[in-house]
Amino acid sequence: MSTVETPVASSNEAPPPSPLKRIATYAANQQFILFLVLIGVMIFFDFHNTRFFGTSEFTNLLVDFSEAVLIAAAEMYVITSGGIDLSVGSTIAVSTVVGAYAIQYLEGHHFGEFPSLLVGTFVCAGVGGVVGTINALLITKARLVPFVATLVTLSMGEGLALVFSKGGTVGYDPAAAVWSSTGFWIFRWLTLIVLGITVILGIVLHVSRYGRYNFAIGSNPFAARAAGINVNRHVASVYVLSGVLAGLTGMIWYFNSSGGAPQNGIGNELEAIAAVVIGGVSLVGGVGRFSGIILGVAILTVVHDGLVFINVATTWNEVVVAGFIALAAVLQSLSSGSKRRT
Amino acid sequence: MTNEREPILELRNINKSYGSVKALTDVSFKAYAGEVIGLVGDNGAGKSSLIKTISGVHNPDSGELIVDGVTRHWKSPHDSMAAGIETLYQDSGLAPDLTIGSNIFLGRELEKKGILGKLGFLDQRAMERKALEELEKVGITVPLSKRTVSQLSGGQRQAVAIGRAAMWAQHVIILDEPTNHLGARQSLEVLKVISAARDHGLCVLFISHTLPHVLEVTDRIIVLRLGRVVKDALTSDFTVESLLGTITGLNT
Amino acid sequence: MKSRSMRLIQGAAVASTLAASVFTFVGGTAAVANAASKKFTVAYVVGAASDPFFLSMKAGASAEAKKLGINLVWQGNPSVYSSATQIPIVQTLLAIKPSALVLAPTDTKALQPLVAQYIAKKIPVFNVDSGDANQSNITSWVTGNNLQGGQAAADALASAMGYAKNCTAASKCVVAIGVSSITTSTDAARLKGFAAEVAKKYPNIKALNPIVSNSQPAVATSGFKQDLAANKVSGIFAIDGTDLEGAAQAILTAGSAAKSIKVVGYDAYATTIKSMQAGKISAIISQQPALEGKDIIDAVYAKLTGKGKISHLTTLANIVLTPANCAKLCATYVYKTA
Ligand SMILES: Nc1ncnc2c1ncn2[C@@H]1O[C@H](COP(=O)(O)OP(=O)(O)O)[C@@H](O)[C@H]1O
Ligand SMILES: [Mg+2]
Repeated sequence: MSTVETPVASSNEAPPPSPLKRIATYAANQQFILFLVLIGVMIFFDFHNTRFFGTSEFTNLLVDFSEAVLIAAAEMYVITSGGIDLSVGSTIAVSTVVGAYAIQYLEGHHFGEFPSLLVGTFVCAGVGGVVGTINALLITKARLVPFVATLVTLSMGEGLALVFSKGGTVGYDPAAAVWSSTGFWIFRWLTLIVLGITVILGIVLHVSRYGRYNFAIGSNPFAARAAGINVNRHVASVYVLSGVLAGLTGMIWYFNSSGGAPQNGIGNELEAIAAVVIGGVSLVGGVGRFSGIILGVAILTVVHDGLVFINVATTWNEVVVAGFIALAAVLQSLSSGSKRRT
Repeated sequence: MTNEREPILELRNINKSYGSVKALTDVSFKAYAGEVIGLVGDNGAGKSSLIKTISGVHNPDSGELIVDGVTRHWKSPHDSMAAGIETLYQDSGLAPDLTIGSNIFLGRELEKKGILGKLGFLDQRAMERKALEELEKVGITVPLSKRTVSQLSGGQRQAVAIGRAAMWAQHVIILDEPTNHLGARQSLEVLKVISAARDHGLCVLFISHTLPHVLEVTDRIIVLRLGRVVKDALTSDFTVESLLGTITGLNT
Repeated sequence: MKSRSMRLIQGAAVASTLAASVFTFVGGTAAVANAASKKFTVAYVVGAASDPFFLSMKAGASAEAKKLGINLVWQGNPSVYSSATQIPIVQTLLAIKPSALVLAPTDTKALQPLVAQYIAKKIPVFNVDSGDANQSNITSWVTGNNLQGGQAAADALASAMGYAKNCTAASKCVVAIGVSSITTSTDAARLKGFAAEVAKKYPNIKALNPIVSNSQPAVATSGFKQDLAANKVSGIFAIDGTDLEGAAQAILTAGSAAKSIKVVGYDAYATTIKSMQAGKISAIISQQPALEGKDIIDAVYAKLTGKGKISHLTTLANIVLTPANCAKLCATYVYKTA
């Protein structure tokens, strides 16, 4: 048998880049550019009205960030695993309504404010878990594609929220508002809890076995299965996680609006997906940094709030957000284009 | 081949049908550590059915499967992996968006020591380092284990995939058409890895339609036709022409 | 932040709800046909059936229909206020050949071809609340005066803020405004009435750009919080119930300085009236949905029987409820939710 003298997988590595070049690559990084733009936008808002860099506005920004970040994180988990979850918005609606009923019932039965709110939180998470489980079953057992499966639960959740609430806000609970507005400096307790959960989600995605399987499945489900990963079980768990996070967001919205409104959260799945796109996460799965969606949610929040803050008609909001999505998409295609050329 | 040794893998009268289609009929052969066996046959000859039987994707209707001297009945591919058999399927391969190190350790991640590991934290640095070491053992030098697989050439990718199988297999690696879609130079890289795996004492089952590759890298060739073993002989007994004739049934 | 693609997705989602509602409706036709031998059957199509406004209207219309021996077929998408969901309902109802159609059109133009089909079959068509742009096919239209309501809101808010004393050219009173949708005719009319009254009588009021909540209270809350953080706000005009909820929440969480902000808003839900009684709202602008429902049924009856006079356009005033007149008026005007 003849032996082959060709070097195997020869190292065609370029020499280490010069420091100047390294700075250039860093500056060309999509997230870095978007971060600079975000800072620029914030300075612009403050230039218009110097109250923008003030504690009360930063408190607001953090509250609004915390309303959006968990479903964006949920969407990130689902999308990087190769799926999509359109139902997160309507899950907020249905969980906030059911949670509000639970809290109303408990407070009506002298259960005490704090315990009622605590139980309500678990009820919301549980309702989200149920929706997530339905998604998981439709996708892994009934073999529906995620887009269709979660479209089913999107309309189901929207409908049930209205049916359960009879169209109006359930409960009015100033206690929740009072509690949700306590904290220190620019932080509310609720915001801090949400930020804590967010950090954990980011760590799990990037340094744990669970996160590793998530990326592997999104990148190549066949390879993941061949490597002994129980792909169906993981995919199911991701949708349940997404549902639970949407359910918890329902509770955050309950706190922030003192009641369970069936319209709350409707349509927010697209905001979550927008954050994911702005954050440079690949919509076909397998690729993305959690820091990207943090940036995406931050940009959406700052634009959304800041335009109102400087008294620009809110109709401009979507136009500006569209600009950010386009910028992110162009940066992404430029960077992957340059990669292809090398 | 020193045939007095115990075979590491032995099939005795394996039969497999899909409904009325008889995919495998009385397939028997022995395979030894440190040899590369070519498994060839026309489309529909039963190659895929055979490797699925060996790797536990499905069970034979009758016959005996012996690995390392023990008769086995797989319940799932997990069982065959635990018994030291790694399979690289045509369609599975690697996760392109993960790093080389992450791919090598996919499904077998190394966890950090202590409490963090118990919480599921991975020791990425250890994985990247070990991946390089292990790949080097089968003659693969990849630039940087932190690179994602998508940044590698097709040949490098397949080499890494085989390296992965070789690293985890104790006894047998099964490669289903690993040189498909590869250019000539890239195929050579893959063949080199196969040789290296053999030199490490593994038994390699190499399925391919590219007869020159089969003749170049294997020690022995088993020819399947219509679900039966029609020839089992040393590679040196074949030429491209005679092998082709045996596969198509022109030579007997 | 609703976008077009979102509406597309929602449209798909709504299709299923609609299919369900048309299905139940078809199930109901047999019973209607049986009972209709003696009575008139009137098809009544509203915007979003679960909205307390329309529920209240239903109460007024049903009571009057019962009294007059009219059989009402009440339809409307449960939650979505749009012509895309309303058109198929109106279309389907043509098949039961009602004696008359009462329609609260969700678009000023989109329903007109269907109305023409009803007219071709000699079925008279009535408008309630919202109206078609072209009224030539419409026998009678009963609606609320939202322009006047917006003006009344401006007067109520100015008086609550103590305009003469507290608002000066040097330090204008800043007013935040919340609407559900700037494309809905009622919201637009209220906004227009408010702006016109401010321009005419209150030069020392500075009205901020309206916050658009898309009917999400939490979105309204977030928007009002922005206005409160950016300006020294003295008053809030909440153009519908969603915005009123949002305003109350924003004030509640904004700290003690916000407690003096005066709020005027729509509508007379039981909860809003309670808030006014608790001193959190200065005035409530109420429509008269139950009366709209009653009056349109009276017009239908007059047309079908030939008895009584029909005026083409009836405009019902928006009512201003204040803590002072609540004892007298609130019980009459509160929206019924069941
Ligand atoms: N899942 C299956 N169901 C039915 N018939 C099958 C299935 N898989 C393979 N076969 C049949 O079994 C025979 C052997 O096929 P296969 O093992 O795939 O051959 P090869 O891999 O050599 O091309 C063929 O006749 C094929 O049509
Ligand atoms: Mg095959």
